[in-house]
Amino acid sequence: MLSGTEADIINAVARLRKATKDQIRREVGFSSDYIEFLCRYLVRKGYLNFSNKHYSIGEVGIKTLLTEETPEIDRGLIKEITAEVAGEISNELKETKMTVARIGQKVEWMPEEKTKIKTDFELPVEDESLVLESNINKIGPNLEKERSDIDESVRLFKKIQKIFKKIQRGGRT
Amino acid sequence: MNEGGKGIDIGTVFVKCAHKEGDKIIFGSQRNAFFQVEYAGGFTKKIFDDRMIKYVVKDDKLYVIGNDALQFANLFNKETRRSLSNGVISPTEEEALPIVELLIKSAVSEPHYQGEIVYFSIPAEPLDADFNIIYHIKTIEGFLKTLGYTPKPINEGLAIILSELADKDFTGIGISFGGGMVNVCLSFMSVPIFKFSLTKAGDWIDQQVGMAVGEAASRVTAIKESSFDLTKVGTLSKIESALSIHYNDLIEYVIENIKQELEKVGGMPGIVKPISIVLSGGTSLPEGFSLRFKQILGQFKLPVSVGETRMAAQPLNSVAKGALIAAMAEEGHL
Repeated sequence: MLSGTEADIINAVARLRKATKDQIRREVGFSSDYIEFLCRYLVRKGYLNFSNKHYSIGEVGIKTLLTEETPEIDRGLIKEITAEVAGEISNELKETKMTVARIGQKVEWMPEEKTKIKTDFELPVEDESLVLESNINKIGPNLEKERSDIDESVRLFKKIQKIFKKIQRGGRT
Repeated sequence: MNEGGKGIDIGTVFVKCAHKEGDKIIFGSQRNAFFQVEYAGGFTKKIFDDRMIKYVVKDDKLYVIGNDALQFANLFNKETRRSLSNGVISPTEEEALPIVELLIKSAVSEPHYQGEIVYFSIPAEPLDADFNIIYHIKTIEGFLKTLGYTPKPINEGLAIILSELADKDFTGIGISFGGGMVNVCLSFMSVPIFKFSLTKAGDWIDQQVGMAVGEAASRVTAIKESSFDLTKVGTLSKIESALSIHYNDLIEYVIENIKQELEKVGGMPGIVKPISIVLSGGTSLPEGFSLRFKQILGQFKLPVSVGETRMAAQPLNSVAKGALIAAMAEEGHL
């Protein structure tokens, strides 16, 4: 089942015939990273093709468009909900004192906050290899053995990490 | 005796896992290549089983996996397929995910205990391509979790530094010349100062040479891996000449980018000693590679003083070994 944004991406690519990530982003919105993430998923599932930095509609995508399997999104309901949320935010803002520059007024300094993309999320991954029939585990990997000389390196690395941790905590070494 | 902690090098060409057993490091590897052959039912599988040829069956299609895939591809003068391209899970390869999972599972096997720490190599953000690596990292991380590990990513270049530059307090430049990417990291006492990747690498050489001489890239790969020698002088075959030219081009490209990155960080004013460079990865294997690198490096004026430039002790194992060092340190060994 496709999500609304995924369906929007497929529709956008179908409209543009061929589209770069940035073109899709302009059509659909969201961050470039998120669009790329979804596009990669859609390529893997056959909804889109990717070549020369351009996405085009894949076989599954064409079938989906022809059979109109694209999920129907209740745009009216979404508008209703966003209007409610906007109202609530606006009420909260009314109670907060804010310094607002008038149009034309010279502003000495405005702090610029960089947009931070959080990457500490967990992506649930299924073991897709379970559907494969293979003798790879029976044969096993190619094995090599090497005399270990890493104990000193492990010790030194631990020591350095410890020093950095102390420095971070504001201690002296 | 098994000691906890593992290191995995997830490369475009090989998936390699390192763990320590007593006074030995054990490396288990799988070649990341597959090739579809005609499937004649159980008969083909039996022959492959008898000959120890690795295969996968999916949706009534039979794929030969690993080194044998390369041999089959050469036989038909076609290209092998890969589940990774440019160092990350291939966005255009339909079978990429299940096959890369299968290869990782086989190379890494079960954890010694639930939650064992495993460091897996990741490329840096590419300077010359428009893609990011978050999807790749999250997918591998999620998959290793399903196997019962506590996965942590480590930059490929930094892993080389951990493996090869302990005598320099993990300060220097580690370069991995891989199949799909070249990864570079400059580190000061194990802390990366800059890291980047480039998508011109071994595969690019094979494709360019293949186009120049009218051979399949798989065949060029086989020649490059078996007999190519960068010190050879005198009469070179067409393929050898083309390989030599493209090796020069690649090395120049890498050094030019290192120079630019060093200039961006304003040289290394805090470091008084000359910086060591370690070369690693499958594309650096031909005889004479480090000599060629040094010759080209000599033509560039870098904003830092370069000391020793040398090959990693085991260029195909150093990333996995560096990742293992990080994992063992975190597991609290020694």
